[in-house]
Amino acid sequence: MSTNALTTAGARAENRAPLVAAALLATLLISAALAPVLAPYAMDALDLVNRRAAPSTVHWFGTDELGRDLLTRVLFGARVSLAIGLISAVVSAAIGAAVGATAGYAGGWVDDALMRATDAMLAIPRLPLLMITAAVLQPSVPLLVLLVGLAGWMETARVVRAEVQSLSARDFVAAARAIGASPVRVVLRHVLPGVLPAAAVATTLAVGRGILLESALSFFGVGVQPPTASWGNMLYQAQTTMTSEPWLAFFPGAMIFLTVLACNAVGDAIGAAKG
Amino acid sequence: MKRLLLVTALAFVACAKEKSASAVASNDLLTVGYDREPDTMNRYATHILEDIESCVVEGLVTNDEKMNIIPVLAVEVPSTENGGVVLRADGGMDVTWKLRPGVKWHDGVPHTSADVKFTVDAINKGDWKPESVDGFDRIASVDTPDSLTAVVHYKEVYAPYRLQFVRGTLPKHVLSGRSIDAAADYNRKPLGTGPYRVSEWKTGEYILLEAVPNYWRGAQFPKIKRILFKFLTNTTTRINQLKSGEVQMVALVPWDKVRELRSLPAIRINQVVGNGYEHVTLNQKHFPPFAEVHVRRAMAHAIDRDLIVRTLLDSLVQVVNGPIQPLSSAYEPDVATYPFDPPKARAMLDAAGWAVGADGIRAKAGVRLSFTLITQSGFAIRENVSQTLQKQFRDVGIDAKVRLIDGTSISGVWFAGDFDAMLHWWQQGADPEMTLFFASDRMPPAGRNINYFRDDTLTAMLYASDRTADERARITILRNAQRRLAILIPELPLYNTSKVDAVPVTLQGFTGNPTNAGPFWNVYQWQMTAP
Amino acid sequence: MIRFIVRRVMQSIPLLLLISLLVFALIHAAPGGPLSTYLENPNVRPEDIERLRKAMGLDRSLPAQYFSWLVAFIRGDWGFSYADGRPVLERLLERVPATIELVGVSCVVALVAAVPAGIFAAVNRRFDRVTSVLAVAGISLPVFWLGLLLQLVVAGALGWLPSSGRTAFDGGDFVDRVRHLILPATVLAAALSAAWSRYLRRTMRDTVAQPFMRAARSRGLTERTLLLQHALPNALPTFVTVVLLDISMMASGAVVTESIFAWPGVGSLFTESLAKRDYTVLMAFLMCGSLAVMLLNLIADLAVHTLDPRTRSAA
Repeated sequence: MSTNALTTAGARAENRAPLVAAALLATLLISAALAPVLAPYAMDALDLVNRRAAPSTVHWFGTDELGRDLLTRVLFGARVSLAIGLISAVVSAAIGAAVGATAGYAGGWVDDALMRATDAMLAIPRLPLLMITAAVLQPSVPLLVLLVGLAGWMETARVVRAEVQSLSARDFVAAARAIGASPVRVVLRHVLPGVLPAAAVATTLAVGRGILLESALSFFGVGVQPPTASWGNMLYQAQTTMTSEPWLAFFPGAMIFLTVLACNAVGDAIGAAKG
Repeated sequence: MKRLLLVTALAFVACAKEKSASAVASNDLLTVGYDREPDTMNRYATHILEDIESCVVEGLVTNDEKMNIIPVLAVEVPSTENGGVVLRADGGMDVTWKLRPGVKWHDGVPHTSADVKFTVDAINKGDWKPESVDGFDRIASVDTPDSLTAVVHYKEVYAPYRLQFVRGTLPKHVLSGRSIDAAADYNRKPLGTGPYRVSEWKTGEYILLEAVPNYWRGAQFPKIKRILFKFLTNTTTRINQLKSGEVQMVALVPWDKVRELRSLPAIRINQVVGNGYEHVTLNQKHFPPFAEVHVRRAMAHAIDRDLIVRTLLDSLVQVVNGPIQPLSSAYEPDVATYPFDPPKARAMLDAAGWAVGADGIRAKAGVRLSFTLITQSGFAIRENVSQTLQKQFRDVGIDAKVRLIDGTSISGVWFAGDFDAMLHWWQQGADPEMTLFFASDRMPPAGRNINYFRDDTLTAMLYASDRTADERARITILRNAQRRLAILIPELPLYNTSKVDAVPVTLQGFTGNPTNAGPFWNVYQWQMTAP
Repeated sequence: MIRFIVRRVMQSIPLLLLISLLVFALIHAAPGGPLSTYLENPNVRPEDIERLRKAMGLDRSLPAQYFSWLVAFIRGDWGFSYADGRPVLERLLERVPATIELVGVSCVVALVAAVPAGIFAAVNRRFDRVTSVLAVAGISLPVFWLGLLLQLVVAGALGWLPSSGRTAFDGGDFVDRVRHLILPATVLAAALSAAWSRYLRRTMRDTVAQPFMRAARSRGLTERTLLLQHALPNALPTFVTVVLLDISMMASGAVVTESIFAWPGVGSLFTESLAKRDYTVLMAFLMCGSLAVMLLNLIADLAVHTLDPRTRSAA
């Protein structure tokens, strides 16, 4: 195969990749939403005699420490993990973009005040702060989503601000200003579109980071609490059986991997299209 | 650049291969993976586990693997029979400790009755923070008729007197006139009489103990020259190091990790029945239906303890029926039991007026039989057992919601009485005292009666046992108390807390220990033999 | 420039006060306290707990405790650890070198891997596809998971490297220390180098796609020249910002990594102290952590000023 053909095939694959990723994400979201219908077993159906069963036709993903069907747990875990990843990323992105754009465009004391607030939030070490907060609140899943989201908007704010500042200095924005466009219009029409690629990158990374942050909290015993399943806490619980019952770690791990992969591909596509 | 890095990395990797998990035969060094770093080596200020401390500082007594109290720095354990304990007419009691002659502190100064007196005085003076003054606060004074005799005058009869000096004595010649809290030299490297002394304490990493040259039991002891305690707080890391041979021993292996250690050829699993029990505490104050004895009995019948032990606990523990364990001389085997019997449980609840509602949960007079069961997070066995209990309670129409709370928070929660039911254990000392856990006036903050359970007959029995110095008479009272407890079943006993230690197959003399005295109680005898 | 720095330092003082109040309230709101460990111990009587509470000053009201802490803290008296009674400063300082060593080495490793990888990926599409897979793997693996896996395989099954600790107890020479560093530094660097290389590649590509690059392209410059001579210098300011911000985020990764690899740094001191509710140590840790991050932020801002010609002329 010539280099040329290879490149063409590669380019075609690259064009298809975002579509495949979007389809994958959609499938994940739909199956998470339909988990009660799709799941072959009840969420809390214990079977102590058949614990740690290997994957089979009866249990496609095998069973866990309590003999619960792992496929069922992965489906229900998807609801929690996807919610934490996506919603927290959206929360982060919205707050971050608003704060960053305002600060970057307005400049002056507004910029100062907003950036110092960002600094304060950014200054407290994140995981330790979340660990303490989780110990205080013993949070439910919705609260945990909010906490992870609130803990992650500062990077987006700073990146967006930097982009806005450098865009504002460019000719076409100056031109728009010169012809008397209102600040809101300038930001929305001329500045934000330019910021979008960077914001999209930050957001897609935030999805994965949210899911991973939950698993780190699980590692210290303050994440999503059993019997509620999340991919993070399933992976954590499987840590000691990595050699003897690898499927317990494989399936939740693979789901985290695929989700982050898909989000990145979609984010790439958004970035490329808007750029 | 990357290739350069890779090459460098490989070079370092190749430099030396770690020891693989093969059998160890050398008496030079024993490496122990330890789950925490002690805050201090001062035995009177340390928490529960005293494994490292007990290698350095010896008590006047200790207890062996069968929970017999045996003398160490004392010649014998005082009792009414041997004349060591005399009840005074004024209601007090005198205990005479005869010290072993020829014992010297590691610096060569003789260990004497003055050290015993100094220890009592230092603790009662109260200008430092020993974690427990239990028993010491009942001592009026100590006389030292000669250098090897200490007579302890108690203000009242104190039944657990035998374990008064289980944590040893403080060296008077080192600590006299000083603030003990601030005595960093002693608290980090205590002066003891034991087979080892602290050679190096590298904060956050390890404590290295080295054998002392002239141990009082003879120059042939201890056999092992150095013991290294590596602090590995993460359980998986500890187990991984055992697999790779970087540590050769792990004390107190969690039960769910034992299975994967059995396949390691260099490791022997040592198991002793522990002196503690896992149970479900039922807080009557916070969830009033628990005050009904029929509800408590029905719950006991609803639990399949045998199934839980056989599956989740790999049969490493035994089902138990009360707070005093078979090891104890005060154990009463013949008590009321509650075998797994869901139909009986349902019938009992029906008869007590708890009818099944539309949602499948029982209710009476508008109160649903629905409560929250709390337990410690990050403790895999408890997470699994609590979810199994949830299922088994649900099968008889009782709704339990599991809530996991981290280990530190949960102590605060139960001490405040702010929970319905809790799955946890009590780890006990060798003395069979139960007053603190079941007497009516011992609810927090005055004690640990967190069932908030009230029974005047039982309370009277428990206080009577505390004021009985004669061991046999005391045991009779305690046995009656256990029978009454089993009938009233204020909490649901599940199983005994076995202590499982992973040790090298080549280690001789290791027995384990059921109490907080810990497995190092006879460390001077340990030795490695050729496999 | 100097006025800028002075202003930022002045601004940070009320921020630190605010943080101290927030953090103090949070850690004291958590259930349990320094005496929690005693509660599980059957030898410690309720009377003992009351006595210890008084002796430690925990029976005072919270505002009283906060103000006495604050006054002492400002005067440089950081108090004593509730756990072992040693001075807080001493406990913190003895852990700092280990963390600086771990984080520093990880940063260097991550940068050495990320910068060339990002640039090559921007220039070469085939290399890009390989690195993007690696990068996603790096980003999507939980830190604790990667750590335990490496421990199990590299240290356990293969026996090539020690699985945890900073030095062997009888070692401590250079080789020994490097061998102990490899696994934790790899774990800590993995996620960052992945994220950084992706970020650099994307910013460079985006810059090339900007309209103002059309002029350069029309002059007949190749894509490669455009990327290396125009896109790279353009991408650097934001890249440096991201790197500096991420270094402060490494503190989080270090907490997990230090716990898994029994690394005797401030991260594991934090985990221990949180479990023991060692209030004085926790406060000192969080205040120093916040201060360090603020310092990095300041450096990030200065770096942007220095590297970016546009903002420099604006300021």
